[in-house]
Amino acid sequence: MVNLDEAEVLPRAANFVIEDGKVHLRASRCPSCGAALYPSREICPADGTDSLEDILLSSSGTVYTFTVARQSTPEFRTPYVLVYVDFPENVRVLLPYDGTEPPPIGANVEIVMADGPRIDNDGLVSIPHAR
Amino acid sequence: MEDVYVLGIGMTPFGKHPDKSPADLGSQAVSLALSDAGVGRRDIGAAWVGHVFQGMAMGQRALYAAGISGIPIDNVENACSSGSTAIWDAALALRAGAYDIVLALGVEHMTTAFRGALAPDPSDIEAQMGLTMPGIYAMRAQRYMAQYGVEPHEIAQIAVKNKRNAAMNPLSHFKKPVTLEEVMQGRLIADPLRMHECAPISDGAAAVVMVTKAKLKQLGGTRAIKLAASALRSGRTEVGLVDMTVEDLTWRTAEAAYEQAGVGPGEINFAEVHDCFSIAEALRVEGLGLVPHGEYVARVGKGEMDLNGILPVNGSGGLLGKGHPLGATGVAQVVELVKQLRGDAGERQIENAKIGVAHCRGGKAQGVEGTACTVNILVA
Repeated sequence: MVNLDEAEVLPRAANFVIEDGKVHLRASRCPSCGAALYPSREICPADGTDSLEDILLSSSGTVYTFTVARQSTPEFRTPYVLVYVDFPENVRVLLPYDGTEPPPIGANVEIVMADGPRIDNDGLVSIPHAR
Repeated sequence: MEDVYVLGIGMTPFGKHPDKSPADLGSQAVSLALSDAGVGRRDIGAAWVGHVFQGMAMGQRALYAAGISGIPIDNVENACSSGSTAIWDAALALRAGAYDIVLALGVEHMTTAFRGALAPDPSDIEAQMGLTMPGIYAMRAQRYMAQYGVEPHEIAQIAVKNKRNAAMNPLSHFKKPVTLEEVMQGRLIADPLRMHECAPISDGAAAVVMVTKAKLKQLGGTRAIKLAASALRSGRTEVGLVDMTVEDLTWRTAEAAYEQAGVGPGEINFAEVHDCFSIAEALRVEGLGLVPHGEYVARVGKGEMDLNGILPVNGSGGLLGKGHPLGATGVAQVVELVKQLRGDAGERQIENAKIGVAHCRGGKAQGVEGTACTVNILVA
């Protein structure tokens, strides 16, 4: 388990931590019903419990589905690949994919930091990706 | 509780209206609906107005232009279900006995309010990761293809059907049918969805005048159509790894509507559903319980959902063909149901249309399949 005090937390989006080069998304777990929830939140939507535990997701998962976005809003540089990743913690997360060819359904992916597809004044933004 | 009827309908052409403001469009739809209902401006007790991108007090601006002021006017935002939520609100007010004649309007001037691909609200974490509306439906299409053994060109037939229907609707954005080859040669927007499989950016407005049964008796006339059910639900936060080809939100809304109307899915003879993308039509119709999961696309291929098929779907042209001015869409679906049930649908009239369902849903937020869904059932 990653020690949250020692891990590097990026200021831009504090919903993930990096340790030993591996990216772990921050999530919550309901101590009462066991539901894993991303992003982390205050109240469990399944049973209303309001004392959720902070957890970090594994740094790998499997591809549930994918697409190539060829048209988007002005903040994104197209084309880019999007995937839904199913994590072992029983939670699904949307991530950009670091590559131009989409992975097949069921592929194993690692969570890494990579540039894009979002653009700001300094260029492509580094955010968690599936690879 | 009071029974509710749609007495009058009005709709502008959907399409690009650079020379008209949203208030102009709203006013035009209201005037047409009042005239169709045979009632005056002063007869309207209250109004609900659905819109998404039109800014402050759009409802007042449209109704002032139509010569209506002073009454309660409520602006309704519920993503793509805004207009149909206005109908739901209006029906509640009539059923509660608060008013006996009210107006529901939907209006949107998309071409001035909006550019590029529609996306969830920018504050949503999935939007920040690059999710667009074509993107989410494309990902659901990939799952549908993998789970049910369906090919992209089979899904694309839904766009061919709807644009063929739209060519028979004088108020449609698109007036020209397309061939399957044309759809498959279209530009990819989000794989596998191509241009003709995505609803266009349209301007337009639609309005309905709704009355209680008691008021209808007093007014007389035979053109009113019963609103047998109006149901609204929101998406449930998903926990765990759900099947993205199954629409829990659509089913829960439909279930409530079937119960209200006292009809089952087997009794529905035609449907207008929220086909914002080709694949969406399959997900909706299956979600409504009208066709088993995974079978819809094959049935479209057999012609079962054509105007002369066993279950015509989106005879108006749907969002893909008729156009999709967000706030107006849900009201326009009810306008189409009324035309069909009156026998006034002209070239695209469905034979023996008796019970029609209008399904409208919208929005995407992290952790829910959709944010708002309405199902309205109208009975001749």
